[in-house]
Formats: sequence, C-alpha cells, structure tokens
Amino acid sequence: MSCSCGSNAENVFLPKEAEIISAKKMTDTETHFSLRMKDGSTFDFEPGQIVEAGVFGFGEIPLGLSSSPTQTDSFELVVREVGKVSKALTELGEGDTMMIRGPMGKGFPLAELRGKDVLIVAGGIGLCPTRSLIRYIMARRDEFKKFTLFYGTRSPKELLFEEDLVEWRASDGVACLETVDQADESWKGNVGVITTLFEKAEGLDADTHVIICGPPVMYKFVIQKLVSIGIPHSNVFVDLERRMKCGIGKCGHCQINDKYVCLDGPVFRFSDIEELEEAI
Amino acid sequence: MKRCYISDEHLNGFVEALMGRGPVIAPVAKQSRFVFEKLETVDDLMLDYDTTILPPKVAFFPTKQELVTFDGKEAKSCINPTDQVLFGVHPYDIKGIAMSDKFYTDSHVDENYMANRRATTIVGSSVQKHYKHAFFGSVCMEVEVIGHDMFLTRVAGGYVADVLTDKGEALLGLGQFGDATDAQAGEADQVNQAAMENCPEKLENTSAQIRDKMRSSFRSDVWEELSEDCFSCGSCNTVCPTCYCFDVQDEWGLDGVSATRCRTWDSCLTAEFSEVSVQGGCENFREQRAERFRHRFMRKAAYLNEQLGGPACVGCGRCSGACTADIANPVVVINKIMEQ
Repeated sequence: MSCSCGSNAENVFLPKEAEIISAKKMTDTETHFSLRMKDGSTFDFEPGQIVEAGVFGFGEIPLGLSSSPTQTDSFELVVREVGKVSKALTELGEGDTMMIRGPMGKGFPLAELRGKDVLIVAGGIGLCPTRSLIRYIMARRDEFKKFTLFYGTRSPKELLFEEDLVEWRASDGVACLETVDQADESWKGNVGVITTLFEKAEGLDADTHVIICGPPVMYKFVIQKLVSIGIPHSNVFVDLERRMKCGIGKCGHCQINDKYVCLDGPVFRFSDIEELEEAI
Repeated sequence: MKRCYISDEHLNGFVEALMGRGPVIAPVAKQSRFVFEKLETVDDLMLDYDTTILPPKVAFFPTKQELVTFDGKEAKSCINPTDQVLFGVHPYDIKGIAMSDKFYTDSHVDENYMANRRATTIVGSSVQKHYKHAFFGSVCMEVEVIGHDMFLTRVAGGYVADVLTDKGEALLGLGQFGDATDAQAGEADQVNQAAMENCPEKLENTSAQIRDKMRSSFRSDVWEELSEDCFSCGSCNTVCPTCYCFDVQDEWGLDGVSATRCRTWDSCLTAEFSEVSVQGGCENFREQRAERFRHRFMRKAAYLNEQLGGPACVGCGRCSGACTADIANPVVVINKIMEQ
C-alpha cells in the first residue's frame, strides 16, 4: 500500500471509529447494534438520516439510524445480512469497532409533523429507520397528536423490536397495528399484506401525515389506500433505499432522475417525486 | 489578460523547463490515437492531436484512486497531491474540467479530487486538427472556457500565449516569451474562431431548447428505439470528460489486515449500476437498457444543463467514437429527440 497521509480532517471518505456497546441477533438475518463514538463525541442526527457503516477490507453500506436522537449516550443500527459488507458487519460483536461516516441526508420533517396525527407504515426492515422517528415521537409524545403504526412482516419470526412493540401497543394515544403475510401457530393477529390494516385503523383522515418505509413493491399500494382516505400526496413522506456508495452526492449510484437520495433524501415528500418514474 | 508570444524554436525549451519543475501531463501519441500522459521527453509532445482517448481529468481523477488506507488499527487519508502541469488541453476539455470542479465542490467538497486539481497548472492549447466526431462549436456555448492558467494558440511561426491567472503568469519566466503583436493576437482569435466553426458535426438547437425538449421527451418511445443496440458496456461513460460517477471498493493488503478503500470510474450504462441488495436477491431501479441510456442523456442534456446553464457535454465526440454499437453520438441522439 503506497498511500501516504494527507490531512485527515478534509477527507470526506475518512470514517470515524464507533465502539460496539452491544450486538444482538434479532432474527436469522438481522443484527441490532448499539454504538458510541470512540472519540467521546455525541452522535447528533435527525430521525431518518443515514450513515455509511463499514468494515475495512469489505467496504461500506448505507444504513438508516434506528434510534432516536433523544437518546444521546448511544446510537443504534440494524444490519440485515444480504451481501459481503453486511455479512462482515454482522460478524462484529461487543467491544469491536465499526467504521462510521455521517450522519447524511435529509430525515423526517419533524417541524411539519409536530401537532399532527402521524401514521407510520413500515414493512419488514422498514421498521428500523422509522424506529428513529417512532422513538422520537414516544419521547416527545405531547408534541404530536394521534400516532398510528402499521407494521408488516412476511412471518411472525421476522418481527423486529418486539420489546418496543410491547411498549408501543400499551401506550396511550398510540394505535399499533401489525400484520404478517403468512401466520404460524403462535400468531393471533392480522394476516395479510400491510394494506389490509387500513380496514382496521380508526381516525385516519385527510390531515394525517404519513411516513412510508418498506420494500419497493409496497409504496404504490399504500399510497393508493391513502388517496382513498383523501390524504394528499404532499402529506406523504417516503423513505427510499438506494445504493448510496459515497453518501455525498457524487458517485451517482443513488440517483433518481435528477435527485440524489443521499443528499435530497432518503426521506422525500411524495408530491416532490411522484412524477419521477424511477422513484418507486 | 496579457497576450504573449513564443516562437516554435523556443517552445521545447519552455516545456523542458516545466518538466524540470515537476510532472508535465500532455498529449502523446499512442498507436493511431493520443493519450494524456506524463511527458518523458519533449519530443513526445503532440500539440497537433485531434483528441485523446481518455479526457484530461485523469490527471486529478485517475481511473483508480486511493481514498483511505487502514493499517489494521487506524484509518488515514490518502490525499497527497503532487504539483504538476497539465499541458495542451483543448478548450472543450477545459470546459469539462471546470464542470468537474463544480460537481466535486457542490454540496460537499471532495478534497480527494480538489487537492489534485488545485495542485495542477493547466496550459490549454488551440485545436489544430478536429476529431472526426467533434461538435464543440455547437454545444454548451453558454458555458465559458474557464479555470485554466495559460492558453496557447497556434499561429504562424509559434504560439500566442494568453496569460489568465497568477499561476499562468508564473510560467512566463520559464520560457522565451515576448509580447504578442496585434497581428499575432488577431490571428490567434481567428484561429480559435475557425476551430469552432469547422467542427465536422453540429447540434442544431440552443441549450435551453434542448433542456426543455429532453425533459418533455422522458416518456417517449424513442429511447427504446435509440438504445436497441446498446451493449450496456459503459464505453460512452468511460471516455466522457464530464462523467464523474464512481464505485468505491476495498482492497486487502497482502498482510490480510491492512486495507485500502479505492474509487474507480463507474458507468451508469452498466446493468448493475443501480442495483440494491435486498433480501433474496436484488432490486434494480434502472433495469432496462433504455432507462439507462435515457438517464445518461437526461443527466447531460437536462438535469446538469439546468445547473450549469448548458449541457454537461462539451462536444468532444469521444463517446461517438468509443461506442461499440455506434449509437451514442450525442449529435444524432439529441437532433433526433429535437425532431420529435
């Protein structure tokens, strides 16, 4: 390696070290990390922002932060093992170092959501980035009106953050509706795709502000349901996933037409991108 | 702007003096074509080149660049610029460099590019021969040729040297420069004007007309038709002076502990460029080659056009020559879109 050093401060690709406080296997494929910066700094971010998390020798991947910034002593990430880098990340354990760049991008529109009824529609691993907002709302419950969560997974064994779900279900002014595509013997709840929860929900109206995060196929069907309730596209925010390799609006991989997901998103107001054919 | 003159007999001495100070990257012959390469001897300099295979951005954005290195314990920056002269750059490529400078400083400053860029003194030169696909005289006319330090125009018996910056001024002491006469300056202006007018290919519309038409043609079937023979090879991206997308990959050191994070030029025409790993496989957000072909033209002629005030295309014609299937020629594509 012939590389000699330049100024570390100026290099936007230079990650910082974060210590893994805990690493818990959540499912067959997901691992939940709690981290703190090794230099002692507080990791300031907005719900919905992303980081580039990496292991040298393998690379970096973009991940949505899954804790609330109201929790200042640590921050949390969930890694789903789908490729080379995510596999390397999930092999890290307590006390190990994860390389972090960020936070990056634009998060959820907190100022606009305050004082409103909020519906979050999370499919599968989409619960992880939206959890940053859910926990924020829970921590500042009086700043928001009615809060509804739709959460769907393919099967009960893929449910994430079950301890949180227990807490959210029991909270006043919170409607926590869950569904699975395919039930097993343990499952007593709703069975069906996530849009079937609209029939069970109460109090959703045209003033409700909606956050959607899930597999690409989910967005169109959820938005159709929202239209039937009369919720305008300008009240709908979508959290999109793309291959954000640089995180600084240069490498081009995350482009949706003329938008960079890593700069202009990952959270977009749906009315700003609905005309973009490549968006959802 | 100071206008100087250097005779043919003194040009080599000037270039050798530059080479004595540090690397000089300049057009040299490579079989039947030309490339920007570090000059080993002044005799290799080919100022009468038509165009180079790769654009001169290779001098500060190499095809592969180390970003960060890791010794097993600590990560360190790889920003390590070398003072150099980029010599003999045609005006269209100077425009391309100015565009790249903007792309790499908008929103976040990419010092891995900019440190190399700032350490580079650029000496431009007039077009003496046209590449067969050049159309720089009819594209992006609203965007100025800026960012270079000196510009040499071929005139009778030598070169008129326009001195544009302090860095350019500092070069004067390295050569036998005199003041250009009014006649020499006038000849230089005519030479550069003629180079613009004599391009073999031509776009027929203004940047604003192209921008609006491209936007409105997004859902046209013409993209299917235009991209039917596309191999998704990415050659058009690779030779483009304004393409700046890249991939980032880690490489292990031989000790199995150290690693280097590198970026390499990447191509939005390739099938995997927009793939995202998802459970059970991958999702591709521009799966169809027509979508990728359209994306490249939308980027150049609409999206970046809106930011730059002209298309992110400088009319070098390299993509037209590099395209395996002979479908990438922007003159053909854009003129066809404009006829819709």
